[in-house]
Amino acid sequence: MSNAYLTYAGKRLGQAVVVILLAYVFTFVVVSILPGDPITSVLRNPQNGFSEQEIAEIIAAQGLDKPIIVQLWNALSGFLTGDLGMSMRSTRPVSTLIAEVLPSTLILASAGLTVALILAFAVAYGTRFVPRRYGQGLLRGFPSLFLSVPNFVIGLVLIHLFGFQLGLFRVINPNSFWATLFAAIALGIPVSAQIAEVLIANLDKEAEQEYAAVARSRGIGQARLFAKHLLKPASLPVVTAVALTIGELLGGSLITETVFGRTGVGSLVQRSVSTQDLPVLQAVVSLGAVVFVLVNLIADLLYPLLDPRVKILGGAKRQPTTADEPSIGATKAVTP
Amino acid sequence: MASQNRLTATLIDAMTLAPLPQPAAAPLLEVNDLSVSYGKQEVVRGVGFELGRGKSLALIGESGSGKSTIARAILRLLPAGATARGDVGFDGQNLLALPERRFRLLRGRAIGFVPQDPGNALNPVRTIGVQAMEAAALTDEPNAAIRKALILETFAQVGLDNPQRVYDSYPHQLSGGMLQRVLIGLAVLPRPALLVADEPTSALDVTIQKRILDLLSRLQHDLDISLLLITHDLAIAAERTDSLVVLKNGVVQEAGRTSSVFSSPASAYARKLHADVPALNPDRYARLRQTGLRLRDADEAPKIEVSAVTKKFAVDGKILTAVDDVSFSVPAGTTHALVGESGSGKTTTIRLLLGLEEPDSGTISVAGEQVSGRSATSLRAVWRHLQLVYQNPFTSLDPTWSVEHLVREPLDRFKIGTPEERTKHVREALANVGLADHLLTRKPGALSGGQRQRVAIARSLVLKPDVIVLDEPTSALDVSVQADIVEVLLSLQAKLGLTYIFVSHDLALVRQLAHTVSVMQRGRIVEHGNVTDIFGNPQHAYTASLLESIPSGITEPARKPQPVSRQHLRQEQLA
Repeated sequence: MSNAYLTYAGKRLGQAVVVILLAYVFTFVVVSILPGDPITSVLRNPQNGFSEQEIAEIIAAQGLDKPIIVQLWNALSGFLTGDLGMSMRSTRPVSTLIAEVLPSTLILASAGLTVALILAFAVAYGTRFVPRRYGQGLLRGFPSLFLSVPNFVIGLVLIHLFGFQLGLFRVINPNSFWATLFAAIALGIPVSAQIAEVLIANLDKEAEQEYAAVARSRGIGQARLFAKHLLKPASLPVVTAVALTIGELLGGSLITETVFGRTGVGSLVQRSVSTQDLPVLQAVVSLGAVVFVLVNLIADLLYPLLDPRVKILGGAKRQPTTADEPSIGATKAVTP
Repeated sequence: MASQNRLTATLIDAMTLAPLPQPAAAPLLEVNDLSVSYGKQEVVRGVGFELGRGKSLALIGESGSGKSTIARAILRLLPAGATARGDVGFDGQNLLALPERRFRLLRGRAIGFVPQDPGNALNPVRTIGVQAMEAAALTDEPNAAIRKALILETFAQVGLDNPQRVYDSYPHQLSGGMLQRVLIGLAVLPRPALLVADEPTSALDVTIQKRILDLLSRLQHDLDISLLLITHDLAIAAERTDSLVVLKNGVVQEAGRTSSVFSSPASAYARKLHADVPALNPDRYARLRQTGLRLRDADEAPKIEVSAVTKKFAVDGKILTAVDDVSFSVPAGTTHALVGESGSGKTTTIRLLLGLEEPDSGTISVAGEQVSGRSATSLRAVWRHLQLVYQNPFTSLDPTWSVEHLVREPLDRFKIGTPEERTKHVREALANVGLADHLLTRKPGALSGGQRQRVAIARSLVLKPDVIVLDEPTSALDVSVQADIVEVLLSLQAKLGLTYIFVSHDLALVRQLAHTVSVMQRGRIVEHGNVTDIFGNPQHAYTASLLESIPSGITEPARKPQPVSRQHLRQEQLA
């Protein structure tokens, strides 16, 4: 681990923190300029039966009587210390509410990602080894087909087929292994389509490179060529592709949870939107930003470790070439 | 100690097992009536030739002649969609009829392959050692330590200074010449009977080209390998091979012993190939060159003056002097050549000349106007007189634009004349480079390499500049296309009195078309002066070595097989 890499990692980490803070501020501003006054609609709703005094207490407790900039400052410093405020609806800390539902969503999302990766690599493998007459074309059509089917449709089909018809899982017990697996499949299929598309295109590109022909001239068989030569360079862009599908995975989780009746961040969001529970919404949106930024940070930090060609400025390692054989890259190096 | 002994034993085995020359035996490679088609288009038609054991044969022709396709058909590396018919006899069996399973046993072990572009021929994300192990596995040596020792031994044999470091490197960490040595080493390591080398030096500098070809010739003789060399350069083929097959459009034009085809070509095409090699015809354009000179006014001030220019760059925290105290001046209407290998500072010098970089010290003036120290906007006035033709016409033209749009753009940018006048200028410029009007609507994709470079030249001509900077304008083109472009350039100079700065690493070409030359090495001009003087009597050792690297078609006696070497190697191992 070179110094240049650590400097690079430090810089990227700093950028990530700034992005998360900006995302938090942005959500805060958007929420506060949204039409409709949540205080009026929630607290003064006659059905809730708050007295004027209680309303005043809640407003004081939430700090809603202070100027907006002070509110932002309080919220931001709370966010940084892990205090996400109180839910306006249930008067419990937001962090507790989220902690209750987060594990279930994380399990679903990571299971979905696993399914997506397995499926994508299996399909990509098939496009290289299934003969044309046995449906290679069908496999190549897989990404566009499944990108165009929304995951709730896939979810409903799976529930109908495996839940009701085959009885593999009970719909009323959505946290069982089988129910989770099928939810993960419903979530993973559209995500896998995106990954498979990148992977198939890159495998095709790498297979056409001269080095593949040279490796074959060395007597390397197709299977070894795939495993030892094509897979690694073709998978490198997949790291970026996976990081970008995280949004899809998070958004998809919320929908899939609803379809499969799971309790998770999705149901929390649904409840908070319908009751205009702003602290909860603010926390969930910021959490989404944190996850997205973190995953992309990890992808960026992994890339230089996986791809030897990626040079971090300042830490460029070039072997001193013999004086009489100047490197091909030398001209490029002096004329940036 | 034990492993050392085994290594020795393996090396001796490998050498004893290598095929020994068999006098008057059947040829190793016998190609009969070979045809290759891509879809419905037949690119190779009824080609046949023979290559004896330990002998060498060159397939020669321009791009599209089918020479690489034949090589790939023999190697069975044709892309999907291509079909080969006919008979490729190797050691008595038809390679085209073998099932893949059995052909795989021959790959590497019996037939080795050295590719064209070393920069792209090794997996970029795996170390060279991992890929070398694949070649070493073909020797059937069970001990991994000995396999590795074999690899390091081979790397040393092909002239790599630090084999262990090469073994641990990734391809991008080595130079092109080193990579080609690695690839040659990996190809000969399993001691194949046949080595197919597809333009092994066309991506390399001229001095490295000579060393790589020397290496190939030496290995071929030392290890008794048959060499099938694919090249577009007749001089290289003449120097390195016993027999020659000349191809055009997939059909054999002429075949025979190299010396006889080279000295007295029978077919018109072989004669043209011979005439197009600059090294063999240094005075081909002497008359055209003189016409240009006669036009100029001897008292006129130099068109280009570069004096004491220095440019430094910071690379990896170190200061690199790319251009070091460089001075030269070019009289109007003449061609000045900048020659040197990659990294010698040629490219930086022309970037300074074009005002794309600021010199750290020194001054540059073109047509009496100072280039250095100008703002971007006032540089536009200089660029009107100073145009650049890029190295690679396959990448320098926007593929979505028509020829007319491409050539017209500079006129539109500088707002010259009325639209009708611009159209007229475009047609004039195209006529000047010998392109017909019906090409106006074509896109670059529908043009040949030579036509594209003509478009690029026409594009630089429309502004009626005084000076054109030619950055290796023919290095991406075939020898015969190169001859056409050189002719276009010289007749334009004679007609319009243009001044050229010609950047090249091809000294033979420089000899043909330039009047004066500066030889650059590591940022400095080591020698400069009149082309005929410098080429006739080089004063600097570097110039002499560059000149010596030009393939001349003459086989030096020193390159003949050295019968002691195998015995010598064996003794070295036993000692």
